[in-house]
Amino acid sequence: MTSAAVAVSPMLARLADEGATGVLVRDHGVLYLADGQVVHAESPAAPGIDVLLTAGGRIARTGWDEAVQRAGARREVGRFLVESGQLADGELEICHLGALHDAAYFTLAPTGGPTRFRYGVAHWLGRVRPVAAAEVAREARRRRALLDAVWPYPEIDSAPVLPAVLPGSPVAAPRQRALLALADGARTPAVIARLLGRPAFHTLLDVRRMAAAGLVETPSEPAAQPTARLPGWVAAFPDDPDIALLRRLRDALEANL
Amino acid sequence: MPGIDACLVQAMEVPGALGASIVDWTSGLALGSAGDSPGGDVESTAAETAELARMAAEYRSFTADPPGAVELPEGGQEGGQARKSPAVEDLIVTTPGTYHLMRFVETGFDSSVFLHLWLDRDAGNLALARLRMADLADRMVLG
Repeated sequence: MTSAAVAVSPMLARLADEGATGVLVRDHGVLYLADGQVVHAESPAAPGIDVLLTAGGRIARTGWDEAVQRAGARREVGRFLVESGQLADGELEICHLGALHDAAYFTLAPTGGPTRFRYGVAHWLGRVRPVAAAEVAREARRRRALLDAVWPYPEIDSAPVLPAVLPGSPVAAPRQRALLALADGARTPAVIARLLGRPAFHTLLDVRRMAAAGLVETPSEPAAQPTARLPGWVAAFPDDPDIALLRRLRDALEANL
Repeated sequence: MPGIDACLVQAMEVPGALGASIVDWTSGLALGSAGDSPGGDVESTAAETAELARMAAEYRSFTADPPGAVELPEGGQEGGQARKSPAVEDLIVTTPGTYHLMRFVETGFDSSVFLHLWLDRDAGNLALARLRMADLADRMVLG
C-alpha cells in the first residue's frame, strides 16, 4: 500500500492490506470493499448509479426497479442489467466507475469525523469493476487538487449556482449550457448534477471552470450549506442488511440532499 | 459487447498499437489502460489527452453544426437531456514516430469518455486504426 492512501485514510490502507470485505463509513459517504478492493461507493452528495442511468432515460425507472427487485437480494444487480439486455458491459463499467470515483471523492474528503468499518457487508450492485483502494484514494486527492488549480474558491461548491452577466464573457460549452439552464438561483451544483444525471464532481469542476471564465458568480461569503452528511444511524446498521433497509438508506440519502 | 478490459485488448490488437486507454475528459481520469504510455505515466497521459479532448468537445469551431444542418435542440431543458451525439468524432495528433488517435465514445447516459490509442507510425496504419477504434467505441455501448 502506498503512502498516498495512508494520507487520506489510514484505515482504508489497512483494510486494503488485509483484503477486507465490508463497508467503510465516514461523514460524507461510504466505500464498499471486497477482498481489499473498492467495489462501490455512495454519498449523499453524489447522484447514485441509478440516477445516472435513469435521469437521461438510458434505463427506465421501472427497468431499474425490476433489476433491484430480482437481483438485489443476491447482490447481482449490475450483472442482471447486462444479462437482461438493458446495458452493454462497457456502459455499465463506465457508469459504475463514474459513480464510484464521484462518491469516493466526497467520502474521502478531509473530515474530523470518525471512520467505521463493518465487516462482511456487500453492496447489492455486485462486483462490476473493482478498483485498488490506493488508486481510489489517489484519484480523490488528485480531484481535490484539480478543483483548486482551476479556481481556488471551495465556497462555490455548495452555494446556489448564479450565472454571471458580464459583457464580453466567453460562450459556455454545450455541456456547460445544460448546467447553466438549470441554474435558477436556488439550485446548488449537487442538485443540478442529480437533475442532469451527471456525476457531482463533474458539475463542481464545470462550475469552477465557468467561475474562472466569468460565466458564474463566485460567492463572497462562506457556504451556508455544508456538504451533505450521512444520517448518524447509517453506521449502526445490522450485519446483514436486507433490501428494505438499503431502500430506506437510499431514500434517506436522497432526502438528506 | 466488450467491457473495458476486452475493449483495451482489442485496441492493442490494432497493428502498431503501443498503448490504449479509456479516459474521462471532464475529470482527466483513466478508467482503464493497457500497454505503454508516453513517458510511462498513465495518469499524466490521461490528464493531458483529456484536456485536448475537452478543448475539441467544447470549442465552437469544432462543435458548430455544418452549414445547412437542421438546428437540434441542445441540452438545457428542464431535466437536462444531454445531446446524445458528440459533435467531434475523433482527434488525431501526429509526432515524428507515433500517432495519437482519440475516439469519443457516445453513451445513452450523461458521460464524457474517449478511447486513446497510441500507435507506432511505421508499424501502424492510421486509416485502419481509425476504423477499428470507431467500431470499438460503438460496440462498447451497444446494448
